Amino acid sequence: MSTVTLKNLVKDYPNGFRAITDLSLHLDDGEFLVLVGPSGCGKSTALRMIAGLEDITSGDIYVGDRRLNDVAPKDRDMAMVFQNYALYPQMTVAENIAFPLKLRRVPKAERTAQVRQAAEILELTEQLDKKPAHLSGGQRQRVAMGRAIVRHPALFLMDEPLSNLDAKLRVQMRADIAGIQRELGVTTFYVTHDQVEAMTMGDRVAVIKDGVLQQVDTPEGIYGSPDNVFVAAFIGSPSMNLYEATLERHEEAGGDRYSVALGDQRLAVPPEVVAARPALTGHLDRPIVVGVRPEHLEDAAVVADHPDDQRLDATVDVREALGAETLVHFNLSAPSVDSGDPDALDELRDSGRCTARFSASSTARVGDRARVNVDSRHLHFFDRQTHLAIRS
Amino acid sequence: MKLSRPSIRPSRIALHAVMILLVVWSVTPFVWTAQTSIKFTRDVASKTPVLWGYETTANAYRNFWLDSDDVNMWGVLAFLLVVAAVAAALGLIGRRARHGWPWFLGATAVICVALWRFPRFWEANDEYDFLVNSVVVTLLTMLISLSIGLLAGYGLARYTGISGAVILIVALGFRALPRTAFVLPYFFGAKEIDEWLTSTGVGSWNFPLIDFPGIDTLQVLDTRLAIVLALVAVNQPFTIWMLRSFFIEVPKEMEEAAMMDGATRLQAFRKVIIPIMWPAIIATGLFTMLLAYNEYLFVRVLAPTEWTLPVAIVSLTGGESSRTITEAAAASVSITLPIVIVIILFQKHLVRGLGAGAVKG
Repeated sequence: MSTVTLKNLVKDYPNGFRAITDLSLHLDDGEFLVLVGPSGCGKSTALRMIAGLEDITSGDIYVGDRRLNDVAPKDRDMAMVFQNYALYPQMTVAENIAFPLKLRRVPKAERTAQVRQAAEILELTEQLDKKPAHLSGGQRQRVAMGRAIVRHPALFLMDEPLSNLDAKLRVQMRADIAGIQRELGVTTFYVTHDQVEAMTMGDRVAVIKDGVLQQVDTPEGIYGSPDNVFVAAFIGSPSMNLYEATLERHEEAGGDRYSVALGDQRLAVPPEVVAARPALTGHLDRPIVVGVRPEHLEDAAVVADHPDDQRLDATVDVREALGAETLVHFNLSAPSVDSGDPDALDELRDSGRCTARFSASSTARVGDRARVNVDSRHLHFFDRQTHLAIRS
Repeated sequence: MKLSRPSIRPSRIALHAVMILLVVWSVTPFVWTAQTSIKFTRDVASKTPVLWGYETTANAYRNFWLDSDDVNMWGVLAFLLVVAAVAAALGLIGRRARHGWPWFLGATAVICVALWRFPRFWEANDEYDFLVNSVVVTLLTMLISLSIGLLAGYGLARYTGISGAVILIVALGFRALPRTAFVLPYFFGAKEIDEWLTSTGVGSWNFPLIDFPGIDTLQVLDTRLAIVLALVAVNQPFTIWMLRSFFIEVPKEMEEAAMMDGATRLQAFRKVIIPIMWPAIIATGLFTMLLAYNEYLFVRVLAPTEWTLPVAIVSLTGGESSRTITEAAAASVSITLPIVIVIILFQKHLVRGLGAGAVKG
C-alpha cells in the first residue's frame, strides 16, 4: 500500500528564488493525481523533489509511513517517465526496459519474461530488438513507460510525458496511460501544463501557480467551482470570460431582484444564485469579478426561449466554425480581469474580450450585432481584491 | 529518374584545378619521402632525379632501426605483417562481439608484446628504444589524461556554480600559455626532487615491487615518467574542455533516469553515460595521442637521454651525405606510419566525435 504525503514542502534555490511554497498534498493508494500549472510554476520541481533529484529546503515527503527526505533516488522505489523519455541510446528497447531489473540483479530468465510482459501491455513486442533512434515518438514514449512499469514501483512519477507527441497521438496515449495506470493500480503523480490532460486523466487535479497550491479537487469540482480567478481561467478551454462588474439589488414587493452591471449592460441574476452564496450580499454595489464559461453563452437566434433580461448585445469580431460548435468572439464594454496565467495569450487580455461557444447552427457572422443568451445560473463570482471565490 | 549531368562551366574547371593543385602540393612531399626511403644511395644522389624504374632496397630502414648490416629485411617485414594480421583479426572479432573491449585489449597486448620481444630476434639500435619510449609515453599520457578528463569534464559539465567556471577559465589560461612558460619550471622542479632523492638516499632504495629492469636509482629527470607527467599536465585543460563539451550534450535526464531506475551515480556514469560518450572519448584520445606522440620540447629538456622519436630524428637533419638522406626518409616514414594506421582505423569516430556530438536527438 503506498499512499504519498507531502508536508509543507519548500524549495529555495541558492539565488534566493522560492520555487515551491508550503506544498502539502496527499495521494491515496492507487490514486492518479495530476499537478497542473503554467510553465515555470514549480510543478516539475515538486516532482523532482519527490523523486529525490532535487534537495528539499524544508518539509517532509512520506510514502506510506516511510520518510524519504534523505533517501537516495535509487532507493525510493519510484519509477519516473521524463518529458524527453531519456531512453538509453546505446541499448535496445529490451535492454532499456530490462535495465532497472538488471540493476536489481533479477535473474536473466525472469527478466526476459517481465520485459516480454511489459512489451505486450505496451504493444512493443515487435520493437524489442531496435535501438531507440529507430523508433517513432509514440514508440519511444511507450518504451519509457515500459521501463517504469516493469519493476512494479510504489509510485509512478510522470513529468509531462506527452508534451513531445503530436496532437493525435497525445489523445491516444492519454487514454492508454490512464488505462495502464488503472490496470496496475500504482499510485501516480503526474505533472503537466496541459489542463486537458489534467481534466481527462486525473482522479484528482491539483492546480499550482508560482509555487503555491491553488486548489485540489476532482476534475468536475475544479471545473464547476473554482476557488479563485486563476483556477477559473486556467482550467477549461476556451477560458472562462472574466470581467469586473457590480452586483446590484433591486428591492421589489415580490422579493428582491438582482442584476450584474457589465459595462453599460445589465444582466439579471436569479435570486437562488445569490441565495446559494450568502457572502455575495456583502459585496453589493461594489466592484467584483464575474466569470462566465463560453458554453454558458448561446446565440439568442438559436435558442429563443430564454429570459429576456438574461441577454447581452455584442458585435461579432471573430467566428471560428469547428463543426460541432462555433466559437464566437466579441467585445463587451466591461473591463476584463487578468487571471495571472503567464501562458495566456496577450490578445486574450484585451479588455472586454469575450468568447462564446455557440451551437453549430448559429448563423452569426463577423460584424453582426448578436444577441447572446447568458445562463446566469452558472455565473461565477470572485472578490476583486483577493481573487477568491465568493461563496458562503 | 535520370540525373542530368552537371554542366561544365569554367568556374568548375578552375575550382577542380585548384583542388588538384592543393592535393599534389600536400601529397608530393610524402610520396617523395617514401620513394627516397626505399632507394639506393646512387639513385638519390644522381643529378637527374630517378622517379621510377629504380631498384628498391630496405637498407635505409635496416640502418635506422637495426644494429647489423646483414639482416634479411624480408624476415622483419614478415614478422611485422604477422603481428599486424593477428592484431587485426582480434580487432575484427572485437567489432563483431557483443563486448568488444577484451578483444581490443588483446590486440593492443599483441602489439605491445611484439614490440617488447622484437629485440630478442634482431639486434636493435638506440632508435628502437626511442620507439618504445614513444609508445609508452603516448599510451600512458592518453590513459591518464582521459581518466582525469572524463571525471573532471563530467563534473564541470554538471556543476554550474561559479567555482566551476573559475576552474574552466584558469584551465583555458594555462592552455593558452606557450610551452616555453612551463618547461624550465618543470625542469628545475624535477631537478630539485632528484637532488632531494639523492641527498636523503631515498633514490637508491631498493623497492622490490618497482624493481624495473634497467632502473637502479629512483629519479624523476630523464625518465619516461617525467615526460608523461609533464604532458598530462599541459594537455589536461584541452582534454577537460573537449570532454566537457561532449558531456554537456548528454541530457542530464539520462543519468537521472538511471538513478531512478536504481543506479548509483557511479553506475549511471559507467553504464549509461560512458557508453554514450565512446565516440567523444575516442576522438579526445586520438588528439591526446597526437599531442603526446609529436611532443619535442618537453622530451628534449626533461629527458637528456630517454628520447622519444621526434627528438631522435633530429640527429638525422644535420647530414649532408645522401646516405643520411635515405635514412632520414626511412625514419620519417616509419614514424608516420603507425599514426596514419591508427587515424585510418578510427577516422569514422574522429569525424563523428568532432562533428555531430555524442548524442543524436
